[in-house]
Amino acid sequence: MMNAIEVHNISKSYGKVTALDDVSFSVGRGEVFGLIGPDGAGKSSMFRILCTLLEPERGTATVDGYDTVRQMKEIRRRVGYMPGRFSLYQDLTVLENLEFFATLFGTTVAAGYDSIKAIYSQIERFHDRKAGALSGGMKQKLALSCALVHSPSVLFLDEPTTGVDPVSRKELWDMLETLKERGITIVAATPYLDEVRRCERVAFLDHGHLRGIDTPDTILDRFADIFNPPGIEHGKTTGAADENVIEVQHLVKAFGDFRAVDDISFSVKRGEIFGFLGANGAGKTTAMHILTGLNQPSGGTGTVMGYDIRTQYEQIKKRIGYMSQKFSLYEDLTVAENIRLYAGIYGMKGKEIARRTDELLQRLQFSEHKHDLVSSLPLGWKQKLAFSVSIFHEPGIVFLDEPTGGVDPATRRQFWELIYDAAARGITVFVTTHYMDEAEYCDRISIMVDGKISALGTPGELKRRFRQPDMDHVFTHLARQATRNSD
Amino acid sequence: MKHFISFIQKESRHILRDRRTMLILFGMPVVLMLIFGFAITNDVKNVRTVVVTSQADHLTRQAIDRLAVSEYFDITATVGTSQEAERLIRSQRADMAIVFGKDFASKKSGLQFIVDASDPNMAQQWTTYATQTIVNPQLSTVNSKMLYNPQMKSAYNFVPAIMGVLLMLICAMMTSISIVREKEKGTMEVLLVSPVRPLTIIIAKTVPYLVLALVILVSILLMARYVLDVPLSGSVVWIIAVSILYILLALSLGLLISNISNSQHMALLLSAMVLLMPAVMLSGMLFPIESMPPVLQWLSAVIPPRYYIEAMRKLMIMGVGIGEVVREVIILFIMTALLLAVSLARFKTRLE
Repeated sequence: MMNAIEVHNISKSYGKVTALDDVSFSVGRGEVFGLIGPDGAGKSSMFRILCTLLEPERGTATVDGYDTVRQMKEIRRRVGYMPGRFSLYQDLTVLENLEFFATLFGTTVAAGYDSIKAIYSQIERFHDRKAGALSGGMKQKLALSCALVHSPSVLFLDEPTTGVDPVSRKELWDMLETLKERGITIVAATPYLDEVRRCERVAFLDHGHLRGIDTPDTILDRFADIFNPPGIEHGKTTGAADENVIEVQHLVKAFGDFRAVDDISFSVKRGEIFGFLGANGAGKTTAMHILTGLNQPSGGTGTVMGYDIRTQYEQIKKRIGYMSQKFSLYEDLTVAENIRLYAGIYGMKGKEIARRTDELLQRLQFSEHKHDLVSSLPLGWKQKLAFSVSIFHEPGIVFLDEPTGGVDPATRRQFWELIYDAAARGITVFVTTHYMDEAEYCDRISIMVDGKISALGTPGELKRRFRQPDMDHVFTHLARQATRNSD
Repeated sequence: MKHFISFIQKESRHILRDRRTMLILFGMPVVLMLIFGFAITNDVKNVRTVVVTSQADHLTRQAIDRLAVSEYFDITATVGTSQEAERLIRSQRADMAIVFGKDFASKKSGLQFIVDASDPNMAQQWTTYATQTIVNPQLSTVNSKMLYNPQMKSAYNFVPAIMGVLLMLICAMMTSISIVREKEKGTMEVLLVSPVRPLTIIIAKTVPYLVLALVILVSILLMARYVLDVPLSGSVVWIIAVSILYILLALSLGLLISNISNSQHMALLLSAMVLLMPAVMLSGMLFPIESMPPVLQWLSAVIPPRYYIEAMRKLMIMGVGIGEVVREVIILFIMTALLLAVSLARFKTRLE
């Protein structure tokens, strides 16, 4: 039987940058095939070539027996494609989006209903809600429904689960397995190891080179230094560990009838690494905004660094650092200019900034890139740099909002070394993440479900209490109890 | 066809749900028309005038009366010497002085204007108006007759110009932004991977804006006719037909801009700077093309609004037939065809 996808000696470069260098592989019909590799490995370029969006410089590829360059139209009729960003119209409703994409592919929702029923039935009751008002997990289900409504024979998923919580991710992969039963070939890229393991075979791309194709376990073992780096030793901080830097009692934030944060109480000690977990829409970001003074609570009391979150937020802002996945550094400024800017905002003196900048860049082994534009750096470096900048003014606490989204395990591990460094210097770290291996790195964890904290303790305690083997299972166990379904 | 309709439906929903943009799109023409129609005018009205005379003969009296009853001039003072009048102008209490000499009545000489010429164009107009008002029509050798716009209302001039600039801005800016937005949000990738022909995507994208532009065109025409009293002397059918040609031209420009730009703010900047500025400065809207230096005149020859505004002036104000605007229509047509060809050729069915 003919293979669903054949790739022969494909090369592609953008100017001086080589995205793909002589890559060949084939994917059998009905196979679930993974494309894995660090950021900038060439995965997206490969997807675009297979979807006929890009022309390769050398080499040929066929999808479903059709050539990607010459038989573009045939391929475009037969594939479903879900790019990393949710390719939905935010101002159209769920049903309008679905109807639009159905017509686009020459079918109707009614005709394609059987092929999307398993997925779409989960969001069907929100059919007249705007896509922009859905939670990450639901947007993803809708995007997948839109990509499947014309019953494609090959489905391309380019990192479909970035920024989606573990429970929704598991559901998505359960659905993909049902598609496989219907004979649909699936090619997916993912940074999550649990998702990699659900593929039948994976290809590991690294800087445009194909380093290996095999079963997930073989690849993960062979390149264990990249995918499964040894855990990091966390030297316990010595400082005055009993002093609370964050104390919150009965905190409530309501938007109309909706209680985004519903009566939460907790405290964080100095030098602690506090993991703040929860599914999309559980209320993490709102709680974090209140603690950082960006938002006022509707009820309850709290102090950060000894200052009242209701009245003294100006004092708080001076003593904390903040880094989010969405906004970290100015892409069109150089590394040094970004540091200068942030240090200046926090009132540091010019001389001190210059000295500390050189120190920092040396420590990160980054000195040669001092005058490079941030936009030219790989994502992992940007994140490390953004973190270093957020603690450049030596704040008492640093808040990290999903700091490592979309990065490979080795880079994330390096990032966590920086976090441990900061904690050892007495900086308290308050971090949200969707990666459960990162949750294991934290000193203590709180898990939010539907606006309330449903578990709080060290990773060891939580695993014992809920009798689960790892944090991933603990999280899934708790988050499945959620009744709230959107942001 | 089904693709096409569902595309138009989707595009219209985008437009209709964006309330703020809708408000601006419909508010802007109304506000601009009202501002240009009522607030900003070059019309001569209520000029503060000082009369200098020591005589009280019949002819001088008559001249002063004519000034006083005209709505152009307000006689604020009557003084004896021209020095006094000049002092009044310098102290900002009068705009011009009219000095009647001793022998004014005998027609030998004896009329002098002292004018605040800090705005030279207005000063020029005041003197012209004053001359015409004072000079006795029966005795005068010069007799001017204002064709098409006997009251010399500036609205006659501005309405076609506003139409030219607004339609260009709305069509080019809105289409280019709506296409670039899909590029930015990543939805364009999915559209391209679908079996729909790129040409269908493009045409469907522009149809709702064509309709929107027509609605705006009609509301401008209605306002011009019933609020600003601008006559629609020519055939309304031809006015609308030429406008549709111009709207198509603007839409093609929008497509071209969307091909060049990769972000919404780039598209916005391009349409604002590259389209709006020349349209306002070089189309003859504010400054007469004939008095521009040659280089700018050549430049203005490639500015589409120039020909549209010219055609509209002829059709709306002069009321001539379509035969008189053939040149403008042909130029607009060639421009449209060129732009459309370039932007369709440049539209990519793949990514870079």
